[in-house]
Amino acid sequence: MQRPTNQALELRSLSKRYDDGTLALDALDLDVPAGRFFGLLGPNGAGKTTLISAVCNLVRPSAGELRVFGHPADCLEARRLVGVAEQEPNLDRFLTVYETLLYHGGYFGMERHEAEGRAEQMIDVFDLRAKREVRAPKLSGGMRRRLLLARALLHEPRLVILDEPTAGVDVELRHELWRYICRLHEQGTTILLTTHYLEEAEVLCEEIALIGGGRIIARDTADGLKERYDAASLEQVYLKTVASGRLAEEVA
Amino acid sequence: MTAGPITAQAHPWRGFYWLCRRECHRVIRLWTQTTLAPVVSSLLFIVVFGLSLGGRINQIDGFDYEIFIVPGLVAMAMAQAAYSNNASTIFQGRSDRFIDDVLAAPMHAWQMNLGYLVGGAFRALLIGGALAALAAPITGAPVEHPLLLLVALLLLVTGFGSLGTIVGIYAESFDHTSFINNIVILPLTFLGGVFYSVDRLGSPWEEISHANPLFYVVDAVRYGFLGTSDVGAAISFAVLAAMALALYAWAQYLFTSGRKLKP
Repeated sequence: MQRPTNQALELRSLSKRYDDGTLALDALDLDVPAGRFFGLLGPNGAGKTTLISAVCNLVRPSAGELRVFGHPADCLEARRLVGVAEQEPNLDRFLTVYETLLYHGGYFGMERHEAEGRAEQMIDVFDLRAKREVRAPKLSGGMRRRLLLARALLHEPRLVILDEPTAGVDVELRHELWRYICRLHEQGTTILLTTHYLEEAEVLCEEIALIGGGRIIARDTADGLKERYDAASLEQVYLKTVASGRLAEEVA
Repeated sequence: MTAGPITAQAHPWRGFYWLCRRECHRVIRLWTQTTLAPVVSSLLFIVVFGLSLGGRINQIDGFDYEIFIVPGLVAMAMAQAAYSNNASTIFQGRSDRFIDDVLAAPMHAWQMNLGYLVGGAFRALLIGGALAALAAPITGAPVEHPLLLLVALLLLVTGFGSLGTIVGIYAESFDHTSFINNIVILPLTFLGGVFYSVDRLGSPWEEISHANPLFYVVDAVRYGFLGTSDVGAAISFAVLAAMALALYAWAQYLFTSGRKLKP
């Protein structure tokens, strides 16, 4: 059932325990306001990818509530509103670059002519024109990353989730990507970014949440976090919160 | 400021159409492997067993041997095609995780299940159609009950396509998918009366054959082609329908619950 909201994402007591017993999300609460450029930072295993997968209907939460723009996350309307570029390229090996984009548009309910036009547009935006008829397994790592991002943005989602989008990406693509994402954000798209590049998060994100052990440890603007933790940089905040918590756990 | 929920028009039928299209596209793109090879190997069975050895074998149920084996070979080829197609497309999608693009899309679970099934059915019907078209002029095999034959073939592709979906979802390696094909489907089809009428086996092998579900698949398809059945067409169709519906329901449960597809 829909309910009025100005939140792009509402997570209430969201928990996920995997079959092997790992608790990836521990009664996590999080609101991401619509239109915000939001960063989610934390070490490997903190629960970032599980959280993202739950939003995208790719993980079954064990408990809690999850809403996307007021819709329950597993309903069709919510799924239409989300676009995700996952951390590892997961491209259909039987489809060319153009087909990958066209079929994705189709899966997400776009009309054929609309999906065709948008696919061509994204091919130009991400400089994939020379590889238009090449199948995904024959693309280089950088090209696969470009295609992954183009696919995530193809159906013009209102919430774009980027899970470490610049990992292993050259400087040129990184600049192009952020230029395009910032333009989308200016037009009102909500961005949820996870990255290990803290300087990127500091520059781009209007608000940042630090996640560790499946819970939100702290949340504020980059300046607010620095002030609260008496730190000169976001990296220092990270080391004082998430990393020190992990170190304490390891020592214990 | 509080606003109403942003409404997005989800068009699940378009997603379903594109999933069906993707599955058929895959079959066509890999046509030598998905279509040509099974047609050639089944045709070889007809030529070698039917035309070469058929002259030395008496008629079975009033039909020359080369005619008698055509329905069973068509059923076997189609069952294997529907199974292999769905097992491999889903296992590959899970293994490379590109199935996430479908699972995250605004489609109903039943549309995903049916969309994958359409791919298996498309491949199986291509093979069955090609085989029937080639075998009919070579052997003179008739089609006595075309509508019942169509029903039998649709139930067959539903059952075996769904079995492929189930195995594709549970499999941890490609070996698991081929194991079911080579160790379960193929032997049971051979023992289900593709090359002989089970009533010639005598007790207890005839009764044991009746416990083989593939026997009813072959028998129903044979009834559609030749108008003859070992146990009565109604029984064969009922068993085939029950098997197809049970397997389809199991595959649907896996898509609806997300079990094994979504951790």
